[in-house]
Amino acid sequence: MVPVLLDLITTAAILYIVSSGLLLVFGVMKLINFAHGGLMTLGGYAAVMATAMGLSPWIGIPLAAIFGGIVGLSMERVVVRSLYNRPLDAILATWGLSIIIGQIITLVFDRGVHFAEPPIRGVISILGEPYSTYRLILIAFALLLGVGLTLALRGTSLGLSTRAVIMNEDLARGLGINSGLVRSVTFTLGSGLAAVAGALITPLSSVDPNMGIAWLISAFMLVLVSGSSLYSLAVASIVLGGAQVVVSNYFGSVLGGMTIAALAAVILRIRPQGFSYE
Amino acid sequence: MKMSMQKISVLLAVTALWAGSAVAEDKPIVLGFPLGLSGANSITAPAVVQAMELAVSEINDAGGVLSRKLVIELADSASSAAGAQKAYDSLVYQKEVDAIISSEPSAARNAGLPIITRGKIPYIYTSFYEGRSCNKYQHIDGWVPQQVVSLMVDYFMKDQGAKTFFLVGNDYAFGRGLLGDTNKYVTEKGGTILGEEYNPIDASDWTAIVSKIRQANPDVIITSTAAGAPNVTFTKQLRAAGLTAKYGSYALDEGTAKTLGPDAEGIYLGGSYYTSINSEKNAGFLKALNDKFGTETKTPNELSVPQYDAIHLYALAAAKAGTTDTDAVVKALSEVTFDGPRGLVQMSKQRHAPLTMYLAQVNAQGDTTIIKSHPNVDPGEQCPNL
Repeated sequence: MVPVLLDLITTAAILYIVSSGLLLVFGVMKLINFAHGGLMTLGGYAAVMATAMGLSPWIGIPLAAIFGGIVGLSMERVVVRSLYNRPLDAILATWGLSIIIGQIITLVFDRGVHFAEPPIRGVISILGEPYSTYRLILIAFALLLGVGLTLALRGTSLGLSTRAVIMNEDLARGLGINSGLVRSVTFTLGSGLAAVAGALITPLSSVDPNMGIAWLISAFMLVLVSGSSLYSLAVASIVLGGAQVVVSNYFGSVLGGMTIAALAAVILRIRPQGFSYE
Repeated sequence: MKMSMQKISVLLAVTALWAGSAVAEDKPIVLGFPLGLSGANSITAPAVVQAMELAVSEINDAGGVLSRKLVIELADSASSAAGAQKAYDSLVYQKEVDAIISSEPSAARNAGLPIITRGKIPYIYTSFYEGRSCNKYQHIDGWVPQQVVSLMVDYFMKDQGAKTFFLVGNDYAFGRGLLGDTNKYVTEKGGTILGEEYNPIDASDWTAIVSKIRQANPDVIITSTAAGAPNVTFTKQLRAAGLTAKYGSYALDEGTAKTLGPDAEGIYLGGSYYTSINSEKNAGFLKALNDKFGTETKTPNELSVPQYDAIHLYALAAAKAGTTDTDAVVKALSEVTFDGPRGLVQMSKQRHAPLTMYLAQVNAQGDTTIIKSHPNVDPGEQCPNL
């Protein structure tokens, strides 16, 4: 029972880490950033570069944040900004940008799998059950991320402006809030978080030009059922991630693989606002 | 500058010869290569491309086939059935290739075969696969389960005294076929299968399966995961969970093993080609590859070397048949023998090839050491009706 419970919590943590950047962008901009997968891949390669340069694997994480932030900011400035009133085109454009990121990575690093040193190896004993230390650390990361983002949204003036834009952008702009700046900052932050997630999953994932794509679908489903709230995302990660672990355990991984998508569809059918409480 | 009469006459003679040969030389033989340049196989594709470029340039440098040059016509089959249909269609009907040689997932091959049948052209499939694919125009020079399962299982049971096994694969024809055969063989030999689990081919999360392995606590884990990413994600997640059971893989290649770093140490591999094969032909092949591609050289592997062999086999078959005519070449393909990096290869057993099979282990440096070799392992009954 203990291992299944730990699997459940760590899976939820991983899903939360992978989805939070996407949710942030969706919450503020009402835009699904399909470059999220490409940005995750970029983060994975930041970890590869840290390893190649002989740096501590932990350095890969801030390095990923910087890469993701810079690429995200440029994408927002050059492409996404002009598509704010055309959300469908924005999906297409970000998907295209994701392909471009993947191809540039392929040009620089080739198509093959690359090696990134994991920050930590081995297992520790939890209630007599040996369990992967790194997966447990990811729980701490997820909590840190949730608390950090909540504090930033609640405790800073930019956070206040961001919440205002999330609630009613026209009204916020009428009150003199620079919604363009809020969008810019949010997209940059969301992109940075995507890249950080990419770096964080390298010890569990293959680092290749397609690594982010597999995660994008789950993240997308989670965001759809969570709306724009970080709390709902946490609940959704636990419920859907948990369901995936339970189904995989008792009915096989082939069914487990489709649990998140199937359950998300059912939830949205019954309750269109998903886990969001507004 | 003064040029002697003699020099001028030599020059004239050379020019005449060159012009003459240019006229006499027939149009080139076009070989079509549908290859997974994108999708799952894209990770191993660069090594395959290098191996075929080497084979083609070797043959052309030696004067070509039937005094015609070989030309490469590459098409991306996207490692999928849908991609393969497009690729085969364009190679057969637009490019009008003389033969198709391909290293692909089984789904892509199965999608391509009806097009081969309609186009009536010689076809060589060069990937290891689950066995029993039969087509009038098809030859296969990769290994089938009969050639690798006993090698791997016997080693664990007889040499290592293992009794319990856990089988892990991706949910597709190759994964299920190979592990099904392994399950049968282990049970026949008195071993116990503690679990047989499959993950979708595009899945990156192995959490539940790793948990089940931990609970079952087997002596040996044998995997038949898809080449590239699934091998890597499974191995990383298994090692992160601290599981230390012996680990044998049918599908991990040397190059990917290197990128796994310390996580790959100790993994047993079964197949027909490893760079550490100690033979003159293999040394020559590795040197030629290195001379041609220098620092860009990709580690040759279980997919790239059979592709190299197949191109040479085609050249020998066309030469033997004296034509590129389909029926004559297909007949000759069963008869010719090529002595390549893997040893002697002849696709003489119901369109399949008896091969020297190797059991190898990844060491701490990420290199592969050969532990055992079985020469001339028969592919068994594959296509009795052809």
